[in-house]
Amino acid sequence: MSINESLPEPLNPLGIDGIEFVEYATREPLRFGAVLEMLGFALVARHRSREVLLYRQGGMNVIVNADAAVTGEPAPPALMALALRVRDASYAYRHTVDLGAWPIPTRAGAMELNIPGIHAVGESIIYFVDRYQDFSIYDVDFKFLPGADHHPPALAGLHFFGVVQAIGAGRTDEWLDFYGHLLGFRPLPEGQYFGILPKGMLLESPCKKFYLQLIEPPPGSEDIVWDEEWLRLGLGAPDVLAATRLLRERGVVFVDRESLHTSEKGALTQFYLDGVAFEFVHSHLVQP
Amino acid sequence: MNLDHFGMDTITLAGPLEAKLRAVRAAGFTQIMLMARDLVGHPDGFDAAVRAVKASGLRVTGFQVMRDYEGLTGTLHNYKVDVVKSMLKMAQAVGAPMLLVCSSSMPHATGERERIVKDLQALAMLALPLNIRIGYEALSWGRHVNLYPQSWEIVAQADRVNLGVVIDSFHILANRSTLDEIDEIDARKIILVQLSDFMWERIEGPEQRIETARHLRVFPGEGVHSAELADLVRRLDRIGYRGDYSFEVMNDDYQNMPLETAAARARASAKWVTDQVLRRSLPVREQRPAFDHRTGGASTIARPGLS
Repeated sequence: MSINESLPEPLNPLGIDGIEFVEYATREPLRFGAVLEMLGFALVARHRSREVLLYRQGGMNVIVNADAAVTGEPAPPALMALALRVRDASYAYRHTVDLGAWPIPTRAGAMELNIPGIHAVGESIIYFVDRYQDFSIYDVDFKFLPGADHHPPALAGLHFFGVVQAIGAGRTDEWLDFYGHLLGFRPLPEGQYFGILPKGMLLESPCKKFYLQLIEPPPGSEDIVWDEEWLRLGLGAPDVLAATRLLRERGVVFVDRESLHTSEKGALTQFYLDGVAFEFVHSHLVQP
Repeated sequence: MNLDHFGMDTITLAGPLEAKLRAVRAAGFTQIMLMARDLVGHPDGFDAAVRAVKASGLRVTGFQVMRDYEGLTGTLHNYKVDVVKSMLKMAQAVGAPMLLVCSSSMPHATGERERIVKDLQALAMLALPLNIRIGYEALSWGRHVNLYPQSWEIVAQADRVNLGVVIDSFHILANRSTLDEIDEIDARKIILVQLSDFMWERIEGPEQRIETARHLRVFPGEGVHSAELADLVRRLDRIGYRGDYSFEVMNDDYQNMPLETAAARARASAKWVTDQVLRRSLPVREQRPAFDHRTGGASTIARPGLS
């Protein structure tokens, strides 16, 4: 019997292989871009026809979407899309829609790449990208800035670690169904967690390259607004203290109070632009 | 008597939505089950209907009804998926926590269990981001699924957190189903219980079931199956069901009554139901310490077979 024959059914039916990019929607791309640059990202390309920018550091791509059609009322930059690398984007799309995901309307205009996607929490979107090895999706829609380093190195080994999602009270099991049945995420064993913030429920991607954290409203918070949405991006660092030291030098301000302060386990930035924060987590993940 | 877990159904009452909402509220009810056409058919449009519901202060029990959804293939399946998406969006807009889905009566629908399970799983997934639960009900004239134990088996097999069964007393009585299998159901997976009765002992054939169901239902306590209804409610209470009871009473005569009169009958019926549970449960309740504010008696965790 070969090793393959003894394996159970595939735990990663979509062939998920990490995060290709995350996308923020904002009406203030310049101010938000400045925050990203402080965090070590560099602007590398602009969309050919829309007000959309590509920031990069190391293996991380961050799209800043200032297309007016995307945002409504003035609001802090919102984490609105997560693009997953998959084996076959078209299959991933059909498979998840068959299972009950809501497909997004096709948004690509003339001569633009159509990236299939499904709706996730609230207004957010999960895209499927399969051309990430020999061919870059950015080559189609984006113009790289002349003279810019297309692959700026990561600061202090920073890499995508995961996304924190706020969910309604008592909704953990339902969102486990969502990420588990659609995408093959699995809950981490109880007691295993990362970072310094409320634990919630941690889900591991089937490729084991990133995490989702589901957080119900804390007890006694009936009066606060707790919409279901992606709250913030988590960045992994092999050495959080070294990373935060470098970031402080660049002007990043971290939350530092008795109940929540920077440690070797993790750190949280202050809110920028009235509501966007970034979490840093001690990470065992290898930087791509 | 506590009315908080009983609701009326817009289907019972005649007239415009606002008048229905006022009558239900005035009768002391705090919740209402909404029929899609009551909102879609609002003279000022769907959004105005949503505003009326929200302004009424009534809690929405749920939204109905999705018919002939499961067991289809190809174009017909895709069409039904579109229909159910529209229902889900309406349910979300009006703040309904659940969508009622009746088992299919369509001749084109397959009875293949795997297909039905898969279709309900997909529906539960569609409803999940919208924070809506799916309640699957065995229609007594359903083509392949027409008994409540079948709907429970399917829901159990589908195994989705936001998918459960809806128990409708009419269909159980119409099919003369035994109530023993109620004890097999996980009470947490009962999304809603709909109560109604009718005026004659037996119903012969699906046509008569449909006719009676749509025109001649009465409130619990008014019909000829009071003993069975009381038994059903007591069994549900005993297995630990603590969710809502909705009066799904479609009756042409009630459509010709002042709304206040029909609502008063509903209120009397709620008292009748509460009395049935209280009266028969007393010996058991003495063993239980906690006070249940809904039934006005002691309760908490009921164990199957305890009484």
